[in-house]
Amino acid sequence: MAEMRASQHVSRRGFLGIGLGAGAAAVLAACSSGSSGKAASGGSGGTMKFWDMPWAAAAYNVAAKNLVATYKPASGLPSATYQEIQWANFTETFASAVASNTGPAVSTGGGFQAFQYAQQGAIAYADHLIQTFKSNGTYNDFLPGQVEAMKTPAGYVAVPWQLDIRVWWYSKPIFSKLGLTPPTTWDQLMSVGTTLAKHGYYAFGIGAGAGDFLGQHAMIMMMINNGGGIFNADNKLDVVTPRNIEAMEFVQQMAKAKMIDPASVSYTTDNLNAQWKSGKFAMGINTAGLDVSTGVTDGSLAPLPGPLAGPHGEKACLVFQNNIMMYKNTPSQAGSEAFLAWYIKNMGTYWKNNLLVGLPVLKSIIATPQFQQQGPRVAAVKNWVPYAKNYASVGTVLSPSLAKVDGSQQLTAFVQTMLGGGDPKQALQTLQSSLQPLFA
Amino acid sequence: MTSAVGTTKQPGGITTPTGPRRARRFDVNRTTMVALVAPSVLLLLLINAYPLVSAANQSLHNGSLISSGSFVGLDNYRAVLTSPQFWQAAEFTLVFTIVGVFGSWAVGLGVALLLQADMPGRSLFKVLLLLPWVVPIVVSATSINYLVATPSSPVPSLFHALGLGTPLFLANPGWAKVTVCVYKVWVSFPFMMLMASAALASVPDTVYEAAQMDGAGAFQRFRRITLPMIARPTYISWILMTIFCVNDFPTIYLLTGGGPISATTTLVVLAYRTVFQNFQVGPGVAIAFLMTLTLVVVSVVLYRQIRKAAFH
Repeated sequence: MAEMRASQHVSRRGFLGIGLGAGAAAVLAACSSGSSGKAASGGSGGTMKFWDMPWAAAAYNVAAKNLVATYKPASGLPSATYQEIQWANFTETFASAVASNTGPAVSTGGGFQAFQYAQQGAIAYADHLIQTFKSNGTYNDFLPGQVEAMKTPAGYVAVPWQLDIRVWWYSKPIFSKLGLTPPTTWDQLMSVGTTLAKHGYYAFGIGAGAGDFLGQHAMIMMMINNGGGIFNADNKLDVVTPRNIEAMEFVQQMAKAKMIDPASVSYTTDNLNAQWKSGKFAMGINTAGLDVSTGVTDGSLAPLPGPLAGPHGEKACLVFQNNIMMYKNTPSQAGSEAFLAWYIKNMGTYWKNNLLVGLPVLKSIIATPQFQQQGPRVAAVKNWVPYAKNYASVGTVLSPSLAKVDGSQQLTAFVQTMLGGGDPKQALQTLQSSLQPLFA
Repeated sequence: MTSAVGTTKQPGGITTPTGPRRARRFDVNRTTMVALVAPSVLLLLLINAYPLVSAANQSLHNGSLISSGSFVGLDNYRAVLTSPQFWQAAEFTLVFTIVGVFGSWAVGLGVALLLQADMPGRSLFKVLLLLPWVVPIVVSATSINYLVATPSSPVPSLFHALGLGTPLFLANPGWAKVTVCVYKVWVSFPFMMLMASAALASVPDTVYEAAQMDGAGAFQRFRRITLPMIARPTYISWILMTIFCVNDFPTIYLLTGGGPISATTTLVVLAYRTVFQNFQVGPGVAIAFLMTLTLVVVSVVLYRQIRKAAFH
């Protein structure tokens, strides 16, 4: 018994040894898990990570996961795993993952994300892949100008895969009830909007509340529509221009004419959709999928026949060229390119099954009978895409700078000021001065 | 000269216990103690000190989210402290915190006092009153949004029906501030109620009985007995609620996003936007550090009050 006790007794030295041993094991375990994590993403684990955003309803991500599961790589190349990344805090998710080398090999993401990470040296340029596309004919399947929009002086930062466009929508039943014709110019918009306002409807239905960036997009679109924009031809920030002032004065007139819902300053996307569904909004700027996001898919909501002609005759709308990017942290660059090429070739399933409201960038997908049945999207491709300009307008190239402007608090404050009927020139000057430090 | 038992004879016949055996025993104890404490200290350093030092370093650089950037000294602090946005956010943080702390305390204490009364269903009431605190902020913020966001939402409709106009609770800068503060009081008062209930339970009934016999009225008993006797837990709850309010990100972000026109932007929201929307990591972290400094000062002041209360 005494012997047993002696054997059970742990001496102080023994205890210390156990403690130190456990500590050392924990440290080693931490180190080894870090390095294996790196191996999984950037080493030779035999798989690579594909990160994707929730681009539509939940069914989209299920379909995307299933699609990626069918990817059969060529011999020696890694297979792909699918991971959905939420839009909420996606910037932090990507940044921390990229910084710690635990990020994806290939991903979708923010419209300007590839430009941003390319500047920071994390992107694997797609030049070789684009060259392959040119040689096998895939390049010609892209809508004109879409691939080239991804080009920077250092190379192609990504490959486009869908267009997120902003178009004017109107409510057919309300127009029919009031005997109105859809406007084609800003003058007509003011006239129609005034009539709508008299009957209690809003003609500039947008939202600028928590997490709702449609207000920002609508305001930039009004500038671009009038031949303006937030960048000049030299791609420099240039907000206080005569065309921008004129466009914002028009917005101010709309606010004064009660064409803008005064509560829209605080509308979330849900609030915005609720206003469309309840018939308070008769017109407004939204994505090409307003009918789907509101659930009003009976044809009551329709895009206007095309962009409105501004006071100087220009027609334009805003588009985000969403893209798929490759990262340097990959088990195999050839594997990343092979997967991306395969994905571009097979992504048509999303539109064939009506899972995405973003517009396809491939002519072959647009031509499918399934896509041709989606009235608003077909109209957007036909009547709006030819006039679409991106965020860089009047500038000519997309750049990392755009990531700083898109969704910025400065732009949010500017939009909220304008929706509240603020002074256009003063608001633009404030915007210019508040954005300037971001480019220092 | 050293004796066998480890003592040293000093000139003058004084003996001191400094022998090798004694020294060895002391070292072993000390080593054991250090070794036992070391893992905890190491863990604390890794969890607390490392991020703090790393963040301090970031606040002195002009880095991005994935690179450290170059050293800029105190430029970020200078930029932050000369920015009108910072002072606007600091002002609203102060208002939000004062209303949040004292509003929730007043309501919480009031409800706790009411719940002291012997009434049927008291436990059920306590549970129901905890709900605003228990329900996730994302759920209650969504509910509030539904109630007040649009002119046709229930609360603006009610105001309209009562002939009080149609206030834009989230779209008007003034109303948005009020809405956010009221919401904060609503979600926080159950915590204060719990703290106050626990404190009130520790006040002996005999003290009240004695005061009543001396002719003290209800208000006098509250002011002269209840408040002083629950002072310590009250100060502790104020410290905690101050930290909760200053660091409260979801309430603001989910309800207003800091708008309209930055009217409800607090320092923590400004720090988030600066880092993750403007990609200015240095200035954003500098804001967070200034917040931390302020919280430390406030906490120290309140801790002194706790010590005073303990003394009294």
